[in-house]
Amino acid sequence: MQSEDDSTPQMVAHSGAAHVLIVDDDGQIRHLAAKFLRTNGMRVSQARDGVEMREMLRSAAIDLVVLDIMLPGRNGLDLCRDLRATSAIPVIMLTAKGDDTDRIVGLEVGADDYIAKPFNPRELLARIKAVLRRSRAPGVVGTGAAQRGFRFDGWIVDLLRRELTNPDGVLVDLSGGEFDLLLAFLEAPNRILSRDHLLDAARNRVSGSFDRSIDVLVSRLRSKLEKGHANAPEAIKTVRGAGYLFLPKVEPK
Amino acid sequence: MRHWLDTLTNRTILLLLIGIGLVHFVSLYAYQVALDQEMSSAGEARLADRLLTIRQAVMRVAPNEREPVAHEFSGGAVEAHWSRTEHAIPGGPGSTEWDGLKRRLRELAPELGGSQVIIGANRKLESDPHLALISLQLPDESWVNVSLFARMTPQTGNHGTILSTTLMALGVIGISILLVRWMTQPLSTFADAAQRLYRGTETVSVPEEGPREVRELASAFNDMQARIKTLIDGRTHALAAVSHDLRTPLTRLRLKTEDVGDGPLGNAMRADLSEMEAMIDQTLAYLRGDRCDEEFRQIDLTALLETLVDDASDAGSSSTLAGPPKLAIKARPLALKRAFSNLIQNAVTYGGVARLTLVQTGKNAEIVIDDDGPGIPADQVEAAFAPFTRLETSRSKETGGFGLGLTIARTIVDGHGGSISLANRSEGGLSVTVRLPLTGPDASRP
Repeated sequence: MQSEDDSTPQMVAHSGAAHVLIVDDDGQIRHLAAKFLRTNGMRVSQARDGVEMREMLRSAAIDLVVLDIMLPGRNGLDLCRDLRATSAIPVIMLTAKGDDTDRIVGLEVGADDYIAKPFNPRELLARIKAVLRRSRAPGVVGTGAAQRGFRFDGWIVDLLRRELTNPDGVLVDLSGGEFDLLLAFLEAPNRILSRDHLLDAARNRVSGSFDRSIDVLVSRLRSKLEKGHANAPEAIKTVRGAGYLFLPKVEPK
Repeated sequence: MRHWLDTLTNRTILLLLIGIGLVHFVSLYAYQVALDQEMSSAGEARLADRLLTIRQAVMRVAPNEREPVAHEFSGGAVEAHWSRTEHAIPGGPGSTEWDGLKRRLRELAPELGGSQVIIGANRKLESDPHLALISLQLPDESWVNVSLFARMTPQTGNHGTILSTTLMALGVIGISILLVRWMTQPLSTFADAAQRLYRGTETVSVPEEGPREVRELASAFNDMQARIKTLIDGRTHALAAVSHDLRTPLTRLRLKTEDVGDGPLGNAMRADLSEMEAMIDQTLAYLRGDRCDEEFRQIDLTALLETLVDDASDAGSSSTLAGPPKLAIKARPLALKRAFSNLIQNAVTYGGVARLTLVQTGKNAEIVIDDDGPGIPADQVEAAFAPFTRLETSRSKETGGFGLGLTIARTIVDGHGGSISLANRSEGGLSVTVRLPLTGPDASRP
């Protein structure tokens, strides 16, 4: 079922664009995903299994690995664990949809993020961008390449589980868009962020065909953050004509 | 009567108490009757002797001395007089009690012959059966009248009986508790093992020991557990295989739609794909049932419902949420989100809108979801919860889904120790009420 050119790892000349390695045993998915990511400005290599993945990692400067869990030979979880032992390269796991065990185990073996199959290609792109952005942020130290979480005003943001916990230890549900918006704020605390910047951070999360107003998204996030305490201080400040400013002091988790 | 007769221990104690008590009282009664008989026959013999002695003594003296002699023989319960006429009248209440005495008198003294013996009530005091008068005729037609103040009353040990019965009952209760505990211990083990098998994924083998019946039960139970596990494992593997096999082509299709672009065709294809994914998702959730690995955690119910209502609003409905700014509840976040997502989806699909009201009532969170749809015919409310049920009478096939939403929601809510109910609103539309305990399911439900 593999065509010839699938089995040979493809070398791509190095340039400024991020270089992503897709590890999946399904040739069509690899090709289609590679094509999609390339049209969105990334360089992409492919590997069919763990052996090819290691070969690729040796011969090219890979910025991020998208790793399927169900692989012939050693499975994705084992490969991720191996990879973590020697390298800090960011990994996004492709998990089975609705399988919580895969998701949790995936995070335990050191993946930076996960996305369930069948995935929305635009969401994959957004996740890749987000993980790359975090792994390239200055001063980041963690078990993986990317930072594992943030703290602010007693709130805790777990990046792996994509969870927000309030100062009472209660889990506060956020939509995908709200979470990405919060991340954009946390990555740039005390900086005024324009609507365009925030829209860019949250846009790819939106799977529908409509464009949600960034102001609505900010107001929803603000309401969830500020209702958490009885006398909550203002968390997100509106700067007229410029955008929004995240006020709390942010620390890495 | 469930409360205290509910356990095997109490039932066995009751049974033993009734049984042993019955035996105890029957034997006590038989003993008492025999004792009574013994005592009365001895008393009768003594009485008959005494009566004959009085008669003989009175007979030997002259008529003018007879009354003083009779008087001399009186004493104790017996008072004798001599007279020309009889004082006793036959019959009267309790007269049959004296037949034995009469018979014995004639047996002891055949010389009484044809002379009359009348035992009965006193002419003057007819009503008291215990005051009997015995009139013995003398050969010269005069009479000796002997009155008995009281018959010999048997000495019954009433206090002793109550004490022994009480002690016996206490002994029975104590021994039964120990015995029944010992005998029903394996049953509790079975119940525990069955619960764990159902809730978790591991089989819990029950030790095959104890009486033969229990050993057989344990063996059959372990066998059954193993077969159930094989069945479930087989189904889980088949499911995983099918869902994985479907995921691959669906992922390819997703990627291919990117070539079609953002036009109407591409969007329609993406919508179809989303629907297919949702169906697979729902089927897997349904088959998983409440065999859920997800942990219970403190979550903010308001925030969770807000996210879902916002999503519904973004998809074009004018859904709303009214409730407290935050409400912490112990729950499985992903499962609960799926349950409410299904309920809100139903409301929006069939009723055009989902109006949520969240209130805290005591130790429960109560969520009411109202819509403006046609509601559900009263006789189909329970049917609506059955899997793969779509109440097509009033609903179009265009609406999508395939009848698992409510089933899954109910399974999840049950797993949280809560309840879910449907009602048609008087203003029209359906009202779904979900009650969830704030502290999660009971500790008694592992």
